[in-house]
Amino acid sequence: MAFSNILRTWQQQVGTRRSYFSCHWQIGGLSLLTCSSPLDDAFSDDLETYQSIMLPAPELGNLPEIDHVMRAASMTQAGRDALSKFVIREEYITKLIPLVTVAEDLESLPDLHRLCNIMKSLILLNDNTIIETVVTDPIILGVVGALEYDPEFPTHKANHRQYLADQSRYKEVVPIKDTLIRRKIRCTWRLQYLKDVVLARILDDPTFSVLNSLIFFNQVEIVNHIQSNGPFLKELFSVFDPRNADAKRKEDAVQFLHQCASIAKNLQAPARASLFANFISHGLFAVIAFAIKHPNPAMRTTGIDILVALLDHDPLMMRGYMLKAVNEKKTPLTDTLIDLLHLESDLGVKNQLADAVKVLLDPQILLQDTMGRAGPEQYSKPRPNILSDAFVQNHFDESAKRLFMPLKRLENRASLSDLKFQEVALHAHLVDILTFFVRQHLYRSRAVIHNEALAPRVAQLLTVPQKHLKLSKLTYSKSRIEICVQPLTFGIVALKFFRTLISLQDTFYQALMTHNNTFGLILDIVYETMPRDNLLNSACLELFEFIKRENIKPIVLHVVEKYGEKLKNITYVNTFQDLILRYEQMQGYGTEAESTIYSQDEGTPARRVPPNGQRWQGVREMDAAEEEYFNTSDDEEEWQHETAANATMAPQMQNGSASPVVKPLVDYPDDDEDDDAMDTKPEGSEEQKQQQLVRQEGTPTPDAATESTADAPSTPGSSTVQTPPERLSEKRRREEEDDDELVKLSSGPKRRTSTSGSPGGAGMLRKKRSVSIGSLSATAEKGTTQSILGTVTGSTAPKRIAINLSSKPLSETDSIDPAASTSSSEKENRDENHGESG
Amino acid sequence: MSDLDRAIAQLRACRLIPETQVRELCYKARELLIEEGNVVCVDAPVTICGDIHGQFHDLMELFRVGGDVPDTNYLFMGDFVDRGFYSLESFLLLLCLKVRYPDRITLIRGNHESRQITTVYGFYDECIRKYGSANVWRYCCEVFDYLALGALVLGTSSELEPTGPVMNDSTQTGAVLCVHGGLSPLIDTVDKIRLIDRKQEVPHEGAMCDLLWSDPDEIDGWGLSPRGAGFLFGGDIVKQFNYRNDLSLIARAHQLVMEGYKEMFDGGIVTVWSAPNYCYRCGNVASILELGEDTSNGGTVTRSNGDYGRSNGIMTVDRPGVRSPGRRYRVFEAAAQDTRGMPAKKPVADYFL
Repeated sequence: MAFSNILRTWQQQVGTRRSYFSCHWQIGGLSLLTCSSPLDDAFSDDLETYQSIMLPAPELGNLPEIDHVMRAASMTQAGRDALSKFVIREEYITKLIPLVTVAEDLESLPDLHRLCNIMKSLILLNDNTIIETVVTDPIILGVVGALEYDPEFPTHKANHRQYLADQSRYKEVVPIKDTLIRRKIRCTWRLQYLKDVVLARILDDPTFSVLNSLIFFNQVEIVNHIQSNGPFLKELFSVFDPRNADAKRKEDAVQFLHQCASIAKNLQAPARASLFANFISHGLFAVIAFAIKHPNPAMRTTGIDILVALLDHDPLMMRGYMLKAVNEKKTPLTDTLIDLLHLESDLGVKNQLADAVKVLLDPQILLQDTMGRAGPEQYSKPRPNILSDAFVQNHFDESAKRLFMPLKRLENRASLSDLKFQEVALHAHLVDILTFFVRQHLYRSRAVIHNEALAPRVAQLLTVPQKHLKLSKLTYSKSRIEICVQPLTFGIVALKFFRTLISLQDTFYQALMTHNNTFGLILDIVYETMPRDNLLNSACLELFEFIKRENIKPIVLHVVEKYGEKLKNITYVNTFQDLILRYEQMQGYGTEAESTIYSQDEGTPARRVPPNGQRWQGVREMDAAEEEYFNTSDDEEEWQHETAANATMAPQMQNGSASPVVKPLVDYPDDDEDDDAMDTKPEGSEEQKQQQLVRQEGTPTPDAATESTADAPSTPGSSTVQTPPERLSEKRRREEEDDDELVKLSSGPKRRTSTSGSPGGAGMLRKKRSVSIGSLSATAEKGTTQSILGTVTGSTAPKRIAINLSSKPLSETDSIDPAASTSSSEKENRDENHGESG
Repeated sequence: MSDLDRAIAQLRACRLIPETQVRELCYKARELLIEEGNVVCVDAPVTICGDIHGQFHDLMELFRVGGDVPDTNYLFMGDFVDRGFYSLESFLLLLCLKVRYPDRITLIRGNHESRQITTVYGFYDECIRKYGSANVWRYCCEVFDYLALGALVLGTSSELEPTGPVMNDSTQTGAVLCVHGGLSPLIDTVDKIRLIDRKQEVPHEGAMCDLLWSDPDEIDGWGLSPRGAGFLFGGDIVKQFNYRNDLSLIARAHQLVMEGYKEMFDGGIVTVWSAPNYCYRCGNVASILELGEDTSNGGTVTRSNGDYGRSNGIMTVDRPGVRSPGRRYRVFEAAAQDTRGMPAKKPVADYFL
């Protein structure tokens, strides 16, 4: 993470800390931002007082007083500044150091504890100069020596000196001759030790960031020195000369480069670019090739780490090098990686290799000027693209063919149950990569999937868990689990692949799926997992739920026509019945069905009516339950009635949860109308008309009467009040439904699901009223709602509390993006904030 | 002694197990977790624990206070890693215990069990530091993807007449839903959670995200969460949800509570926090929630953990109205110093630069 991000994170975090820390922060913040600039007027009095701050002579007898004066002075910024000046001017730390040995000789623990406190206070003064002084050669051991005696841990003594005095921890492949840089390296290491170990527990945020910035600037200098030191680099890379037999030295050199690469991650992009370019021109690729073929898995991991650092830095550049190699008829890096991926036995390395291949072959990456970036000399001035898109496509196809070969070979395999562990992992990775390709660039990937007939192979993987589950159903025991992860893994990766295909809503892929009995296989898994509520089962349900929600017509048609019988028999969730209903609506029964729904009398809640296919059943369910709750005054009776009436559905309900009553909902219209009102899409208004129709047709029962009072603000008339925040909320809610971010395609049917958020609030209010706890009148309800909304959106008259969903930040991008990590840190800051306030 | 028992012994002593063993452990754990539903059903009695955040020694303290596995059944509501200095030891120990005693310990996912969050808040860094590469981090993240999203504790006591004036609701009969963050506007019944494909990185929005990120708040309905993910939800939402799903309580973690636990909305939801002296400096106490199957327990037990001169005065023992049947909170403080040494990160071993 970039340093600035870290800094920002702390600034935010600290703001939320309790008083002690926030006080520190403000002080530290000032010193950070203003450095030694003149202080505010507010401080000037203090400044007078402290200008002439003096600490008693550094003697054992004075330690209590020194400690006391320092504590007092640390309370204010001015005091801290004055103290820092004094300490620096008098070289006070150097004078304190000898006391540590004296106190140790005297075995005077109280003195050592005081010395430790004094050292802590000195470091927490948060002054760059002091911290830099502390880590210099003559005094570092004395400082950490004092810090070994922490009064908070009276029975402990740390051994910092032993660690820091150990010279053998510093390793050199090629000696760095520059003494200044050598010193910087040592200081940086000590700073890191201070940060991570000595001060880890007591560090406040400003000091933490000062330490980090010192480390960062040292590293910048060190790296700059290395890359500008031609002879050094030459010697470093000559270690890898084949004539050189010193294996240990080679390994060390790889480690050295690895460390450079990981430091480079924190540098700014131009600095990093020039460092990598320099390394590459000296032969970094040969080093990577050496490392990733090394017999020791740790070495291979290190090698791939370097490669991944390059890929993270600039995938375009790396692809450029790769294509250049292809163009020059050399073996490109990708081929090497693919071969290694196929053969690798260490699963950790395999994992990394898969990731690297994924990035290198990412079909999405734009191909202009990739060649231009291949090589340091061209780095700044991209040459015109000399490779045709056809060439690139060709390369992609060739690589993909090579990559997916093992998957293709599955065709001739009679049984998949005898796959070895490594093979399972490999196939899981391959399907994962394939999924990634499809998602990144569906057109480019089409050819591969078609030519290599990969979809049936993935479908083949779907059969594995099924067979397994059939088996294990008979003899299911915990010990058998040992062998069952493989089939289930296959099931999961294969499902993910098809789920992605579905979400693309692309006719080519849809055809692939409908031709390969894919859904039959998935339904088989549902059947086999049905009594067991497990991950695989949920993944299947989600897939069908998605088809239903998105109303993907070709698939609904296909599934219901071909597997209708199967669907009918799965009743433990409503998903499949709803799919059938969707189908019927498509066939033209829809209108009829809907009008039936809407003409339903509200007074017959328990009757099973065809649910409105346009809606997520959950909403309906919820409203039904609510409705029933308020239809009678006696809760108990109501529930019994309901349960009896829905006896057939009872088994569906797991976990003892709510009643599964299905019934058209009174409550919905308000919300839907809102939705529709704010919706600018034509299908929305159609919906609205229907809703209004319902209202007119619905026979008002006494309860409905109550309700209409309650829902007065939500009648069609009032719903015409459109406010921008509502639209925003609409958008937000719509996005919420999108499990798959890539698919923001059909908004019509999806929108229906958005209502699920609101009935909770509405229903609750109504419940309160009826139970007469809150004794809220309709106007009161409206009022409260508005006031809440006012605080959030500052808007007028939005009716539903659900609107509150609206202003949540809409975009959160992927994790690689530093911005994303910042935003997540923000979340966390809030996390702390909230926690502490709670 | 099996390999697994040996690994448990080693981890209990706060010593790491080799990378190959971690890999094996993670694969075994996945095998188990894959069979669990998105909402795991657990029978009472069980002890509910909140955030751990890599405070290994305090986790050991938790086991001391609450009873050891497998004698006590545990349910951990996520956030095992990040922030503290011993995320690896803590998580791997819990995972070992899970594999060793699958029916005795339940782990569900917290918002920190995510690739993105762990790279920012310390777990990634710790893995690199302690194992030299990101492999172990990768294995652990794979396991995170398999963790259940919630749990339903069945068979908790319900016979006791409410002791406070607030139990005028007839909802105090049902199960206890445990989830890391809270409710989601997209989830109106517990069964809806079943329809989530949980094997994925925690998304930035949607039902799965909300379950892990939301917080209860003194508002009506749903509100915008200042965290940037999940929502705030009010007492009305909780009441409604509990009623609909026949729940007596929602137990969740996710927010630091200085007193270790905090009941809200007439005891309809509780926040349980199990990381004492959070980040080694917040000065809070921690708690665990014991859900019994009979009515004998209930109330709060303040548990001092040793006589090393710490005050127990922070506790206000019984707040009126939050006493509920079958719930017992055990409050505990940070582990004694002599059991843990000074918390610090592992220093880098060798260096070139």
